[in-house]
Amino acid sequence: MIALGVFALVIVLGEWGQALAQDPKAPCATMAPLDQYLLMVDRDAEIAMARSAAPEAISRDADVLVLGRHGYETAVKGKNGFVYVVERSWMLPYDDPEFWNPKVRFPLCLNPPAARSHLPLTFNQTALAFSAMSKTQMFDRTKTAFDKSELPVPEPGSMCYMLSKQQNFGPKYGNADPHLMFWFPQKDHKNWGADFPGSPVDVHQYSPQPIAEFVISASKWSDGTAAHTNVH
Amino acid sequence: MLVVVLSTAWQAQAQDANAQYPSMAPLDQYLMTDRNAEIALARSAAPEAISRDADVLVLGRHGYETAVKGKNGFVCVVERGWMSPFDGDGAVNFWNPKIRGPICFNPPAARSILPMTYKRTEMVLAGQSKAQIIDGIKTFIKQGLRPLEPGAMSYMMSKEQYLTDDDHHNWMAHLMFYTPLMDGVVWGADLSNSPVMLNPQFRGAPEPIDVFMVPAGWWSDGTADPVRVR
Repeated sequence: MIALGVFALVIVLGEWGQALAQDPKAPCATMAPLDQYLLMVDRDAEIAMARSAAPEAISRDADVLVLGRHGYETAVKGKNGFVYVVERSWMLPYDDPEFWNPKVRFPLCLNPPAARSHLPLTFNQTALAFSAMSKTQMFDRTKTAFDKSELPVPEPGSMCYMLSKQQNFGPKYGNADPHLMFWFPQKDHKNWGADFPGSPVDVHQYSPQPIAEFVISASKWSDGTAAHTNVH
Repeated sequence: MLVVVLSTAWQAQAQDANAQYPSMAPLDQYLMTDRNAEIALARSAAPEAISRDADVLVLGRHGYETAVKGKNGFVCVVERGWMSPFDGDGAVNFWNPKIRGPICFNPPAARSILPMTYKRTEMVLAGQSKAQIIDGIKTFIKQGLRPLEPGAMSYMMSKEQYLTDDDHHNWMAHLMFYTPLMDGVVWGADLSNSPVMLNPQFRGAPEPIDVFMVPAGWWSDGTADPVRVR
């Protein structure tokens, strides 16, 4: 069972209004009202969206989490060690203009090593967002957590599926393309030939996370329909 | 340098008389007479931005030799049929002299996976049988195999690769990721609509490595891989 303890931080709903105001000119400069991030009005919709992250052959036996007013909750208990979750915008880099965009949805299917080592970060970021911290405060708290090893680095073999047609990266990228992500403790990204012209590998490194995230496009969405991916 | 015992090479008779390639063919059939062509084929495994600065190996009568010294830690090489599984469906090409598997190993794989290519090739060129090679690898694993490095992976994106006698000789452009032995289910491999495939190449028989494959979507020259959507 995945520990949800990290997420059990106190939510001070009365402080929502204080989680505001970094740059009023930027899109989604501050956190929107909590309800805009939730899909609790239709819990089944969030379960279905989460499960759309990977082929049905995987999702039917996986845990499924949904985001509620008090954090992520296990909505479906699985048996294959995979965990499905719809991450929200605060999993983006801190300098991403969509960081507080309440329409952003990232359905992820985490394999068992990733469920153990990535979900704590998801819970951490969500708790910080819910506690009405500024992005600067969130950054500092996350950095400290990694420095003190309160947050784990990726286990060997950690990866996830992001094959949902419903994923939404914001107005610029829409649902982007289906892809796989592989996580490692931070390394020189050239070791995978990432981001070289013609390479199918991209790399993300989101400070302050000491993590390298390698991204490889997939050919199909989770429902088996073809995607169209361009050569870099 | 690896020792070649040509006089015994042809004695490396395989056991499966029903297979299309039951035993080792004459060594010359596995070699490429045009050294520059082998260098180009090896480099075609990855996009030019990666392979132009990689070490390039070519197969000679005495084993693999460094033909080009690179500077980015990648190593590109054309593997032969004997890197196939020893048994099962994938073993049909073990002695197929037409097999050409251009592959570019990233630095961790060059250090911890490429030695297995060297070892198998050494024993093949010494004229050993499959059974002898398996025994030799088991000994190598106990005595000399380096631990698998995290992040070991490789590129196989050559349009010119020849991986099967089937109609689509070049199969598909793909990437390979090396892990310790694990249940393929952990990566969701080979499930319906999953883009992840578990390669039967090693699987503990006897190398203690699993190889997961993901389609790349295009060849190293940038052209689309039409076989990709399946």
